[in-house]
Amino acid sequence: MSCEEAIKLMDGYLDGELDPMTNQTIEQHLRECAECDQAYKAQAALIRSIGTATPYYRAPAGLRERIQSSLREEFAERPMQSASPDMPSQLQRKQSEPRAVFWETQWNWLALAAAIVLAAIIAFNFVPRLQRPGADQLLATQLIAGHVRSLMANHLTDVASSDQHTVKPWLDTKLDFAPRVVDLSQQGFPLIGGRLDYLDNRPVAALIYQRRKHFINLFVWPAESNAAKATKTISRQGYQLLHWVDSDFNYWAVSDVNADDLQTFRQGFEEQTHPQPTNR
Amino acid sequence: MAVALPLKPPHGLDTEGFESAQKVVKFVVVNKPEEQDHSRKEEVTSFEEAMLPHLDAAHNLARWLLRNEQDAQDVVQEAYLRAFRSFGGFHGGNGRAWLLTIVRNTSYTLLKKNRSADFTTFDEEIHASSDESVSPATTLEHTEDAELIKEAINELPAEFREILVLRHQQGLSYKEIAEIAQIPPGTVMSRLARARLKLKEYLATRMSK
Repeated sequence: MSCEEAIKLMDGYLDGELDPMTNQTIEQHLRECAECDQAYKAQAALIRSIGTATPYYRAPAGLRERIQSSLREEFAERPMQSASPDMPSQLQRKQSEPRAVFWETQWNWLALAAAIVLAAIIAFNFVPRLQRPGADQLLATQLIAGHVRSLMANHLTDVASSDQHTVKPWLDTKLDFAPRVVDLSQQGFPLIGGRLDYLDNRPVAALIYQRRKHFINLFVWPAESNAAKATKTISRQGYQLLHWVDSDFNYWAVSDVNADDLQTFRQGFEEQTHPQPTNR
Repeated sequence: MAVALPLKPPHGLDTEGFESAQKVVKFVVVNKPEEQDHSRKEEVTSFEEAMLPHLDAAHNLARWLLRNEQDAQDVVQEAYLRAFRSFGGFHGGNGRAWLLTIVRNTSYTLLKKNRSADFTTFDEEIHASSDESVSPATTLEHTEDAELIKEAINELPAEFREILVLRHQQGLSYKEIAEIAQIPPGTVMSRLARARLKLKEYLATRMSK
């Protein structure tokens, strides 16, 4: 973060209105830059003083009564009771004002009706989609992002080892579940290592396999007991995503290898984790 | 016998003047005409219960915007009447922000009417560059001076006074401030930063005198 950016975001930071990531970036910058840190301290002092040193003008005692009596007056002026001799003239006098209220009221009813229609449209169209393929699309986006980030930021593995007996215990200590880790060198998918990631609002294990010069991220987390057992393939932005579920886990394999390779990978993985496959 | 009737005049009177009664279509069980009166009183009571707790906030905002106690009281009273008239359009939610929006608009109406010299739309582009003139250390020494800060805020244009009061005295979030000041949420931070910068500049000028 540059000094210019830090200064620009300083007020938002001091007011506690920035997101946690940006807060951290600013704090990092303040630790490194004495000049910005001084500016930060000065601004913090100013902000404190504005809050504490300026008077808060509470309403004087009489104002509440004044308002209450003017409300009662307003209320009394509204024609309420049935015919009284002077009613017509009073109506005449008040005509322009209630008109405005009337139109405002009409508008409010229209707005209410529009809101109900809109809510119905959302309920009927949007919600079912969100539950079915929309949720998958959202997850697919996260999966691809996770995959791309792992390759981009030089952070492919937290534990780099082709030995499944090194990778598995490492993951077991970091997670609240124990994913199955197998080596698939013989099938042409050597294990590269393991990594922690965060997907679908939970920490997940990522196993990294290699196919020639390509990498496959296999994301694993516990399956819900009622999860659909069907496999899914999604192709997006040149990436292949393959999803399957076994008795315990959700699997999502993400890679830029072709779809057939990914299927071969999955078969190899399932054969290793379940030595007697049932689907043969 | 009790009959359910919409809250309307009991007789076939010309309804020209009764639009406000249609604002909220309430069905009440009517036994005697006096009971209608009673339920209208309830409308006032429920308005007062919802809005009078924000009286101090309303007064404080008006007082800082108008810089005059008498004007502030008049505006707050007027704002409460306006709020009461459109209370039917208020469907719950943030009552304080809703009321403060009305107080703010009513204050601005008066400011414009008085052609108050300070009521000029502040051109953020023009004033944006006058930065760096204030060193943090010099202002730091004087930020403790309450009287000076109060004076400085009163010198600022209305929209800066407004945002400083909403943030520092009412402690509102950027989102609420955006709603009340009727500006995009993304503008709140930069306007606040400019208001504070103007304040610093003022303090610096005062000190060099």
